[in-house]
Amino acid sequence: MTDIIIPNLGNEISEAEITEWLVETGDDVEQGDVVLLISTTKTSLEIEAPTSGKISQINSNEGDLVQVGEVVCTIE
Amino acid sequence: MKTMPKNIDIDPNKIFAKDFLKSTELPIHQYQKSIDDELKIHGKENLKEVLRHMYIVREFENMLNSFKTIGSYKNINYTYNGPAHLSIGQEAAAVGAAFALKPEDKIFGSHRSHGEMIAKGLSAIKNLSRDKIKSIMHDYNGGKLISYVHKNLNDKEFNDAEMFLLSGVLAEIFMRELGFNKGMGGSMHAFFTPFGTFPNNAIVGGSSGIAVGAALHAHLNQEESICVANLGDGSTGCGLVWESMNFSSMGQYKNLWPEPYNKNPPMLFCFMNNFYAMGGQTLGETMSWDRLSRIATGVNSEQMHAETINGSDPLSVADAIIRKRKLLIEGNGPILLDIECYRYSGHSTTDTNAYRSRDEIKHWKFFDPIQQYSEKMIEAGIINKNDLNNMSEKVQNQIEYLTSKVVDRELTPSIDIAKNPTIIGDFTFNKKVINVSKITSDLLKNEGEVNQIKSLQKKSRFGKSEEGSLLSGMRAITLRDSLAEAIIYHLSRDKSLIAYGEECRDWGGAFGVYRGFSDIIPINRLFNSPISEAAIVSTAIGYAISGGRAIIELMYSDFIGRAGDEIFNQLAKWQAMSAGELNLPIVLRASIGSKYGAQHSQDWTSLLTHIPGLSIVYPATPYDAKGLMASSLCSNDPTVFFESQRLYDKVEIFTENGVPKNYYKVPFGKAVKRRSGKDITILTIGASLYAALDASMELINHNIDAEIIDARSLVPFDYEMLLNSVKLTGRLLIVSEAVERGSFANTIATNVSKFAFKNLIASPMIIGSPNWIAPGADMEKTYSPQSEDILDLVFRDFFPEKKINKRGLRKDWDFLDLAKKGL
Repeated sequence: MTDIIIPNLGNEISEAEITEWLVETGDDVEQGDVVLLISTTKTSLEIEAPTSGKISQINSNEGDLVQVGEVVCTIE
Repeated sequence: MKTMPKNIDIDPNKIFAKDFLKSTELPIHQYQKSIDDELKIHGKENLKEVLRHMYIVREFENMLNSFKTIGSYKNINYTYNGPAHLSIGQEAAAVGAAFALKPEDKIFGSHRSHGEMIAKGLSAIKNLSRDKIKSIMHDYNGGKLISYVHKNLNDKEFNDAEMFLLSGVLAEIFMRELGFNKGMGGSMHAFFTPFGTFPNNAIVGGSSGIAVGAALHAHLNQEESICVANLGDGSTGCGLVWESMNFSSMGQYKNLWPEPYNKNPPMLFCFMNNFYAMGGQTLGETMSWDRLSRIATGVNSEQMHAETINGSDPLSVADAIIRKRKLLIEGNGPILLDIECYRYSGHSTTDTNAYRSRDEIKHWKFFDPIQQYSEKMIEAGIINKNDLNNMSEKVQNQIEYLTSKVVDRELTPSIDIAKNPTIIGDFTFNKKVINVSKITSDLLKNEGEVNQIKSLQKKSRFGKSEEGSLLSGMRAITLRDSLAEAIIYHLSRDKSLIAYGEECRDWGGAFGVYRGFSDIIPINRLFNSPISEAAIVSTAIGYAISGGRAIIELMYSDFIGRAGDEIFNQLAKWQAMSAGELNLPIVLRASIGSKYGAQHSQDWTSLLTHIPGLSIVYPATPYDAKGLMASSLCSNDPTVFFESQRLYDKVEIFTENGVPKNYYKVPFGKAVKRRSGKDITILTIGASLYAALDASMELINHNIDAEIIDARSLVPFDYEMLLNSVKLTGRLLIVSEAVERGSFANTIATNVSKFAFKNLIASPMIIGSPNWIAPGADMEKTYSPQSEDILDLVFRDFFPEKKINKRGLRKDWDFLDLAKKGL
């Protein structure tokens, strides 16, 4: 099981917004696939699957504010 | 993680494929037309005019030379104290080029451009309709110059438009009020835009980027005209010239810009190559090129359609310009012409020619453009010797007649500074503002359709929750967001405005202010520039003086150094040097860095406040950032807009209703009181507001009630609010993050000492960064003034009777000793 967490985005950035989910629970993903888009006060980023597998859980909705370090998705 | 999508895919297979870089031969002196050919093209009268124009240019400069060297010309005595960088020997280059240019084409020159400017004016007069010329002369300077000509230079022998041109130039050179720029420009800067002559520049190569900016304006406005930078061979050693050549040939014009803009700007680089850069020899000594045109091979695959041509033959020059002009109008710029010519005159009139032999000068006299061309004309039967002598004599009379009137100080006075001692100051700012349209136009998408802009709608306009806790930048409008709101408002509604700088497009600016903008604003109005800070500023100047407006970004304010001349000598000066003829509506965004050490973290506000001619603002809150940006974008004066990277994520905590959604302006020159107090006034510049606020909270515990004023605007500065405050408190501390030595804070402190001396209990003090480098992120708090440093100073210098546990790093510094050591 691998968690996708919101990465450290620079010293003063503690939160990000989930802009778009590109996967749903149950989807198969390859390592490196973009699974979600997030935005911070400064920039927009694509978050990739760190490993191949099946999306087992998505913890936040589009538009949600999430904290740096928060688990937003799990791959099995 | 991937970055945002890009426009051009870099394919490693193509990149690593074996190949050879190809270049083609560049023509050198390939002009072969006979006089008969030229007669068919131009007709006899025009070919004679070329000769007459060369005579005028030469006699005009002979006159200047004579004043400089012997103090008289013919029977006219006059001491001329200004410069005279003459181009005697280069007349064919100036006249040949001008002859082929249209009145609407713009030329930009160097310190040695009297000839080019006169020739272009004579050519415009020849080609414009009489009605047009009359209206130009009538409209200029309230008709004063043409009235002067009709009154004082009314000999019917001479064309009044030519007398208008020559007296406007000569009066400018002699620093008289009737000069084209009221004498504020002088010899090296004379120009008259209605005839297509634009600023000549005393900084070598200085015209290159300005001309490119003008070409960009012509291009974006679909004008059928070209822009010419007349540069010297010495300028090939200047960085700006290279930056400008690249800027005018960026790949994106053809690759990324939409129709009808998918062509290159009509930019012609004319190098008036006289082989000497003052006394250094470009060919063989100071430069590496064997032929100047070789540098074009380093710019693009078209090699700038470069040619080396014979600048001592006006018809060879005209022929090249006609061919190149066609290519430029078709969108195939930029083009480089290496116009080889020779000046017999020295660099200036004090030149003793120590760097070249008399034999060399003698040898070149065989190639004298007027001599050669005259002989050719006689040989072809276009003119006979008698007519030639008459022509020469008439020109001499014309210049003598002109000069006799212009030297006369009673007839042609200088600006009366004794009567109006601050008049030069009046030329510095035009104080004009525009009203921006309420209607958006030509957008790729509306603001509401772009996520990054739409997301702002969800945010709180005020930075605190109802319970009073501070909201994060994801939940409330930040300073970054408020800048974005003002800038996108203008970009969406003001079609004359363009925005560029490094990473401005998909990246959204290095600090994210332009996020989402590239979905709204077409690439021809919002584009990534090369890493060419000098050209970024210089092109904006050219764009602005052609009638456009520009907001440009230098990423870090530390990079101001890379655009030093363009900011200090060009942006700041052209309004005054043109006596208000030119407006420079430009906003230069400069971001004061943080965490990246000595070359990325300097507050350089004081460098720029030192240079007269720039409006300078430095907001510290989201409300002010939006309102001051709106004022800056409406201003017709050049404005430097400082931002702090420490503040981009700041939310609005001062204005209770938060940052208004609607458009509004914060005026220049108005400070704002952040806290009222009676014991000491603390003036803050930019980001230092927050350290001062923290300090004021601690001061309260010691019964010291500080009044905090946020400067917001440095030039102009709100002395009224500050003096009123100091009159009540009797004490002033100024906090800035600029290094203390030479800081603008010292200027304010001195002025307050002067204007409120009787109200002061103690001498005004300043605190800034120490006089050494900004250290890296982990050590940064030892550098810019922290609240503890402010407290130390307040107790030490203003309230020594009160006790505080000294906490700041500077508590034991021996400031006098540091000053003695140059620190």
